[in-house]
Amino acid sequence: MSRTIWYQLASAPAVALVASPAAATDYLTLEQAQRVLIPQAASFRPVAVALSDAQRKRIGKLAGTPQRTAQPKIWQALDGKRTLGWVFVDEVIGKHEFITYAVAISPDGQVLGVEIMSYRESKGGQIRNPRWRAQFKGKSSQDRLRLGKDIANISGATLSCRNVTDGVKRLLVLQSVLQSSAA
Amino acid sequence: MASSGCWYCNRCCNPVLPELITRCRPLLGTFVEVTVAATHADAVTGAFAEIERVHRLMSFHEADSDLGKLRRAPAGSVVKLDPATVFVLTEALRLHRESGGLFDVTVGRQLVEAGFLPLCETHNADSFRGTCADITIVDDQRVTLGAKMLIDLGGIAKGYATDSAIGYLQRAGAPMGLVNAGGDLRLFGERQWPVHLRDGDGEMRETILAQDCALASSANALERRQIGTREWSPHIGADGQPVLTQGRVTVIADSCMLADAMTKIALVDRTLAAQMLGARGTVLPPLPPLPSQTQAAA
Repeated sequence: MSRTIWYQLASAPAVALVASPAAATDYLTLEQAQRVLIPQAASFRPVAVALSDAQRKRIGKLAGTPQRTAQPKIWQALDGKRTLGWVFVDEVIGKHEFITYAVAISPDGQVLGVEIMSYRESKGGQIRNPRWRAQFKGKSSQDRLRLGKDIANISGATLSCRNVTDGVKRLLVLQSVLQSSAA
Repeated sequence: MASSGCWYCNRCCNPVLPELITRCRPLLGTFVEVTVAATHADAVTGAFAEIERVHRLMSFHEADSDLGKLRRAPAGSVVKLDPATVFVLTEALRLHRESGGLFDVTVGRQLVEAGFLPLCETHNADSFRGTCADITIVDDQRVTLGAKMLIDLGGIAKGYATDSAIGYLQRAGAPMGLVNAGGDLRLFGERQWPVHLRDGDGEMRETILAQDCALASSANALERRQIGTREWSPHIGADGQPVLTQGRVTVIADSCMLADAMTKIALVDRTLAAQMLGARGTVLPPLPPLPSQTQAAA
């Protein structure tokens, strides 16, 4: 890269945006997330689960973060009759962000992969407002894969992914609780 | 967001544009995005694998990382590390020397005591008082620490990981790509990418167009911890005291590792950072004060 390019960059007209953009990105639809996480699977079968209050409490205690929903979204990844693993789709709500992510867990309880499906950020108090979140429900599973022009590239102070890593730990506990109750 | 004309019309700046795809994973303690031309979508998994490799080697949090090995090693012993870790440590030591100690990867003790990093398997951070002067690079796979210390590569490893992932995308033949590791990003190809710069208060007021370069930003106004009566940020100055700033610095360079590290120096001394970068990069000028700030000053 030549020095000239930097000068162009440094003197590029800075655009003062009218309203500061809030980051909002869709990365993967449900089908894409499943395919990326367990590519060998021939099919993904939805698994209906209803957690009892006792199970939810136990998961929250073991994981250290509350298991909010009693109906976790789970798919069994199958190759014929063989189970290759499970895909969990979950949401975490931070102070300013609302994140939908997918985790693949192997039959022996190992994390096979984690993919962020969508990321929403707001500066107001909407994050904890169910109506604000509801507008995004089902969006990821229906939208086409977004084109790069829709992705806002942002550079600033590093955002922590702690909420998601805590969520992954909780889903590992959830999976082991479900397995032990099935046994 | 897409209303600002030229940045998004994808015609005037970018006459022929292939479709892009972006994926995002939680890695390196942050959200890592990889964007590549859709024709090379398969390369994304390999790029993430590069970042995962750096994460495993250079994570402070994981006991079996190279940093875990270093903090468990008895003082004076030779520790065998991955060549990538030795490379990053060597670069960190060079930057430490050239910045008069402003860039320092041996501030793990202060970051643990301020609560920015966990204690991990060490029982007491207080005994880890070694400095950069106690680090000896033996060869490309071996390092000796003359005194116990907690090394944290948080100010440089995200940049190195980004460079590694970009290298993978380029070797895979992708015509263009972008890797963004929590704000430390690098991009390549015949495309001008709009990049929003997020200020210390979380607002984005400035957008630049970037092409074939790396870019990193640092701020800490929203990353503070109160310990007793003292306020701490994750940035520690040469005097061992926290660097507290409301502003944001952004550095453009030819490698993301360099851009990442240089933001830590520029937070304290923009002129020194610009001198050290020389022909390899630039520190973006600070934004003019906001009207509200000007009024407050008046």
